[in-house]
Amino acid sequence: MKLNKSIYKILLLAIFFGSPMFARLSGQPVPGKDENIPFLVTFGKDGKTSWGDDDFYQIFFFSIPKDYTKPFYIRVFDPDCGGENDEIQGEFDTKTKFSVYGGKGVDPEKNEESRGLLKGLNYKTGNLLASKIFGNEARYDNKYYTFGPFNPAEGDYNARWNSNMFKILCEGISGDDGNLYRYFLSSDPNNDVAIEGANAFTYAYHFRMWNNFKSVSHIYPYIDTGIVYIRQSNFDWDNDGNIIVVSRYKQGIQIPISNEDNWVKSNIPIEPAEVGASLDFQFHKKQGDLVKNNNVVITTENQRGDGLPFFASPIGGVPVYQPKIKVEKVKLKK
Amino acid sequence: MKRRILYNITFILYALLVSLQTKAQQPAVYQVKRMSFNWNGFSNISPVIVKDGIIFCSNRRFSGIQDRIGYDGRRLYNIYLAEKKDTSAFRKPKVLKSERNNKFNNGPLCFAPDGKTVYFTSEVETGKIAEDRNFKNHSGIFISELSNNGTELVSIRPFKYNNPQYEVGQPSISKDGKYLFFASDMPGGQGGSDLYYCEYINGDWAQPVNLGPNVNSPEIENYPYIHPSGKLYFTSNRPGGIGKLDVYFTSLYNGHWEDPLLLPEPINSTADDFAFVAEPNLQTGFFTSNRRNNDDIYEFTSTIIRKATCDTLVENNYCYRFIEENAAKYDTMPFRYEWKFGDGSSGTGPVVEHCFKSPGTYTIQLDVVNLITKEVTYNEKSETVEVTEIEQPYISAPDKTGTNQRIVLSADSTNLPGWKIAQYYWNFGDETIAVGKLVDKSYFKPGTYNIQLIVTTEPEPGGAVREACISKNIIVIRQP
Repeated sequence: MKLNKSIYKILLLAIFFGSPMFARLSGQPVPGKDENIPFLVTFGKDGKTSWGDDDFYQIFFFSIPKDYTKPFYIRVFDPDCGGENDEIQGEFDTKTKFSVYGGKGVDPEKNEESRGLLKGLNYKTGNLLASKIFGNEARYDNKYYTFGPFNPAEGDYNARWNSNMFKILCEGISGDDGNLYRYFLSSDPNNDVAIEGANAFTYAYHFRMWNNFKSVSHIYPYIDTGIVYIRQSNFDWDNDGNIIVVSRYKQGIQIPISNEDNWVKSNIPIEPAEVGASLDFQFHKKQGDLVKNNNVVITTENQRGDGLPFFASPIGGVPVYQPKIKVEKVKLKK
Repeated sequence: MKRRILYNITFILYALLVSLQTKAQQPAVYQVKRMSFNWNGFSNISPVIVKDGIIFCSNRRFSGIQDRIGYDGRRLYNIYLAEKKDTSAFRKPKVLKSERNNKFNNGPLCFAPDGKTVYFTSEVETGKIAEDRNFKNHSGIFISELSNNGTELVSIRPFKYNNPQYEVGQPSISKDGKYLFFASDMPGGQGGSDLYYCEYINGDWAQPVNLGPNVNSPEIENYPYIHPSGKLYFTSNRPGGIGKLDVYFTSLYNGHWEDPLLLPEPINSTADDFAFVAEPNLQTGFFTSNRRNNDDIYEFTSTIIRKATCDTLVENNYCYRFIEENAAKYDTMPFRYEWKFGDGSSGTGPVVEHCFKSPGTYTIQLDVVNLITKEVTYNEKSETVEVTEIEQPYISAPDKTGTNQRIVLSADSTNLPGWKIAQYYWNFGDETIAVGKLVDKSYFKPGTYNIQLIVTTEPEPGGAVREACISKNIIVIRQP
């Protein structure tokens, strides 16, 4: 009888975890699953840039397919600044404000200011749909706060992607601690339920590197038409390892990385065949002395200086290098 | 010591084997045929090839009743044209008239490049003294024009170097008209009759130049014939020939006349063989011989096969370059590319080269070592390479050799799958040939020779015979 019960339980678990529902329960996280980034990071505005945040705010955009008409939610994991995950500087005294915008002015393709890359200009474009300030609040530590419900129709429609655009702004409005958090775009206020076809992207990625040697993080800038090279800028990498750029046509180009509190830029040539797909920026930790709690920033732009979006779910999938061997006869020397 | 003896024995056996094997068939290079317009009992000599047929010299009767006898009582030679009736037959020869017909010999002769000016041999002295039966009249060269109807030599004038004291005659002009070759026993030669040439400078023939001891010998050299190819054919009775007068040829190389070479049988014979002329392609021509106890003109046809179109030998190449194309574009790749070539050897780098030892199918494997993570991706990519020999007859021969050095040529590496080869035919580019898979050859003159190897199959079902030709150049340098 006991044995029958056990078999029954195993079968139930198998059905549950093997079902599409389980797949959907894995949610649509930001950072994305393929990115393997532990946390996004935003410091209080009194923090030092050398701690790994150059501007103390971070903007993420969400695209909701036009044909999705049900309410949706933006869930923030560990929105407070204190407790287990966040980076303390002296004592936790930081307040972080999360604001959700929709409506006209949000779409970064139509409104460049919205991307948040142009210093001194207003990136708080669009209609403010919701906002909340978090301090050191244990009830949100390692837990979710859910924004919404939002009506997808409240977004800024982008015809190219046939999606409604929303954005969430995270600002360190006071204090100097680092707030580490994640987002989940969900159709359910209490669970992580992915919205099919939705995506998330940013133009300036502020994130925490892993505290171990083996984990490799990724980001996936999308290469749009007309791009012949991109210029990457990375900030405060603390000389922590290597950044390798991989695509279907590049096995791995090594690019220079920054040290403490500085920017390093470099150009990466783009093959015509790489257009319309994503690059894979791989972040390999330095071997030897482990660099801990390393927060970094990275942006990319095309040859005209237009910022490129990093998609949480890479457009075209994760690029896998395809080796190309050419065999040719060697001319005989007489 | 024992090893040395063994080595020597092995070497001798090998040499003997090669020698036996390379005693390949040496088929006759020429076929000869006596011309139909010869007249038995009369001399028929010194053919000249013209557009309409053959011009030659003969001491035959003009007709059944007409005859010409010189002052010395000997029959007179005159010039005749045997017109072609078709490709193999000639009409009855007609005499070319001149004011000298009746009393003096006419011919041998040659035409200048204009096709109108005729240089011919005749007697120098025409005065009363020439009528003395005991007077020794000497020959000279005379220049004339062919009449408009082509039947008469007119405007005859003597060559400036004629001399009543010695013989000058048997002219031959180079195809550019700049050099006149002739025979003479003028003083200062090598002995007997020698060959000379005059160069045409500023509208006149310069002083005669003796061709020197490489060509002229103490014996007779006469009947020069300068072929359009630049080869100089002539006749000599020097020692070393096949018998009596024989035909030789030489060429000018770096300003020097090469050692003359004897033409093979059946052009030369134990009888007198002389006055050789040939078509520009050297495939056909004419000469004179008294091998049937009468001076007759013979036609020769070369049996040498030489293809107008023949592929150039391509060396088999088993060397390949392998390129990881994307990696080769960038120099900041933190990877090491390790190649396994499928024959036990390997190489490293985004671009590697490898030469396989022999044809075959090889699987090339690329392993990639990530220098950052130290991870190795085994067999990241593999390619199959078919290394094949080129389908062609193959000439194994040195690129360079020396004069008078024996070289061995082999067709052993011929790669023509499905062909049942019946014959390997070699044309060595110097009008010599051989038949066989393994042949030997010596070149006597320096130069660059184009060797052709022509292979033919046994008749296939239906009777078709397949043929393939490959060629290769060999440089022959002078060896002391």
